[in-house]
Amino acid sequence: MIEVSDLEKTYNSGAVATQVLKGVSFRIEAGEYVAIMGTSGTGKSTLMNIIGCLDKLTSGRYSLNGTEVGELDDNALSHLRNHEIGFVFQQFHLLSRASALKNVMLPLIYSDEYPEDAEERATKMLESVGLADRVTYRPSELSGGQQQRVAIARALVTRPSLILADEPTGNLDRRSGLEVLAIFRQLNREGHTIIMVTHDEAVAEHADRIIQLKEGRVASDRAVPEPRDPEKEIVSLKEEAQ
Amino acid sequence: MRISRIVSEGVQSLGANKLRTFFMMAGTIVGIAALTVIMAMGKGTEKSVMKRVNNFGIRSIMVTAGGGKGMSPPEEGITTLRLEDLEAIRNQVSGIEVISPGVMKRGASIKAGASQTQATVFAVEPEWYDAWDWYVQSGDPISAEDTSTMARTCNLGTTLSRTLFGGASPIGEYIQIENTRFLVKGVLESKGTSPMGTDFDYRVLIPLTTGMRRLLNQDHISYIRVKVKDPKDLTGIGEEIRKILHERHHITPPQEDDFSIVTAADVAKAARGISGTLSILLIALAALSLIVGGIVLMNILLISVSERVKEIGLRRALGATQSDIFRQFLAESLVITLLGMLIGCALGWGASMLVGMFIKAPIVISWEPFALAVVFSLMVGLFFGIQPARRAARLKPIEALR
Repeated sequence: MIEVSDLEKTYNSGAVATQVLKGVSFRIEAGEYVAIMGTSGTGKSTLMNIIGCLDKLTSGRYSLNGTEVGELDDNALSHLRNHEIGFVFQQFHLLSRASALKNVMLPLIYSDEYPEDAEERATKMLESVGLADRVTYRPSELSGGQQQRVAIARALVTRPSLILADEPTGNLDRRSGLEVLAIFRQLNREGHTIIMVTHDEAVAEHADRIIQLKEGRVASDRAVPEPRDPEKEIVSLKEEAQ
Repeated sequence: MRISRIVSEGVQSLGANKLRTFFMMAGTIVGIAALTVIMAMGKGTEKSVMKRVNNFGIRSIMVTAGGGKGMSPPEEGITTLRLEDLEAIRNQVSGIEVISPGVMKRGASIKAGASQTQATVFAVEPEWYDAWDWYVQSGDPISAEDTSTMARTCNLGTTLSRTLFGGASPIGEYIQIENTRFLVKGVLESKGTSPMGTDFDYRVLIPLTTGMRRLLNQDHISYIRVKVKDPKDLTGIGEEIRKILHERHHITPPQEDDFSIVTAADVAKAARGISGTLSILLIALAALSLIVGGIVLMNILLISVSERVKEIGLRRALGATQSDIFRQFLAESLVITLLGMLIGCALGWGASMLVGMFIKAPIVISWEPFALAVVFSLMVGLFFGIQPARRAARLKPIEALR
């Protein structure tokens, strides 16, 4: 469903041109759980922005569910982001003045057809990430982990084909991070495609496959023989604490 | 609908930051309130001007004996205004509907039985009624026969009639004007008092010939009343009359006139006084406060755009198009100005009422300032909202999210 080939991205700032991606190729099938890994400056954020239809590629090809993204205009990209992609950000990016429910409903505002049961749907999403009793809370009244779970509910509300998470555990303590990863594992079991960008190997090993970037190129692309189990780690974390 | 969802996003963001919203509204509130007051006062002034003009007669020109500017009453010592002048005007000027001479005698002694008083006597021709749009409410007017026979008949004003006869009908009764007996033929309609306090109804009308020959023994008249067919010709006809009288009275400016001409247009101009100039000045001030308010609005919106870069980036990431963002911010600007307009109208309305109550200025409250306010506030909202909205829409999602 996702296919990138010879993907290049060059940033021009003034007279200096910086090539961040220097020919990246891979293919991710529907239902996969992939981590894109790399230290900072390897172009993983750029790659994620391009996959997320937030940024345009310089050359090469990117097709999402058969759509050639490189040829789309701004409106079509917005449409694609709304319908095909659910974003989870490191800083959560919730609207601070809106309730958890309103935050989850936000993407629906921009969908072609606003569902009549928008509120119900958003409530269900919050229930599915374990926040049934936090529907009316504002982000400031929620913990980091809870905020990230609101963000996940928001990512799911438009029923996208792809969930794109950028360092989703980066701002969370270990326990909350593991809870988020447990939700991802559960979503993947339910058939969601997940791409997670991270610099942290321990986080990446929760995915089934790791694409390692190095200096704008794919350094390795390997399956994880035995992905980590977040549930188990949560249990052992609890034991440690006792 | 998508657009209503977008607008609602804008409204919610306004509601979330009430103080900022208030500051954005302030300029519009002041401007629109000022505009509403000015228009209420302007219309009030116009109404009182129209009342004065109506009192004078919308299509009327008064030519009075004696020089001087303005609407001074005829000078009794001036003997140069004559019936021949009237004939000349009637024959030479076109566009006149009615022309009617009059002789005026103030402070004439009037007696009826035991009652005695002093009133103004007007010696008139039958055209007087049409020239002044003033008719008898009971009995008969002065007729052509009365003037040709120098009849000793008269019409009374209502208050004079009451003074002389109490509540009883004076028709068929006799009064004495300066020791001459007159039969009361009719009673005039009531015209009330002038803004200066003159009682229009304390008067006697007698036939012109009777007045000139029997009562006063004079050849000159006090005034000529002209009613033109088309009010547009007022000034032009006034000038024509002036030329004719200059010629007939052998006056060459800068020599002073021995008559004065006042048209309804002059009355309106005098009644308006400086209120026209003043209201232009005030409207300019109101417009200025709208513009300043608009600039403040734009600035706060621009600040709010840079404050909300992350929010904009997020919305873009979640699928908002550039035009969605543009519309949301424009909606915020328009809602602010429309809300400011409503508050401004209400404030202005209240202020107008207070002004009307306390300084007794004439105030007319009407729908026009409201309509104008809608147009102005929409213009301000659009004009000063477009730039911030455009800036918000042009933010690149990845840069905004960083």
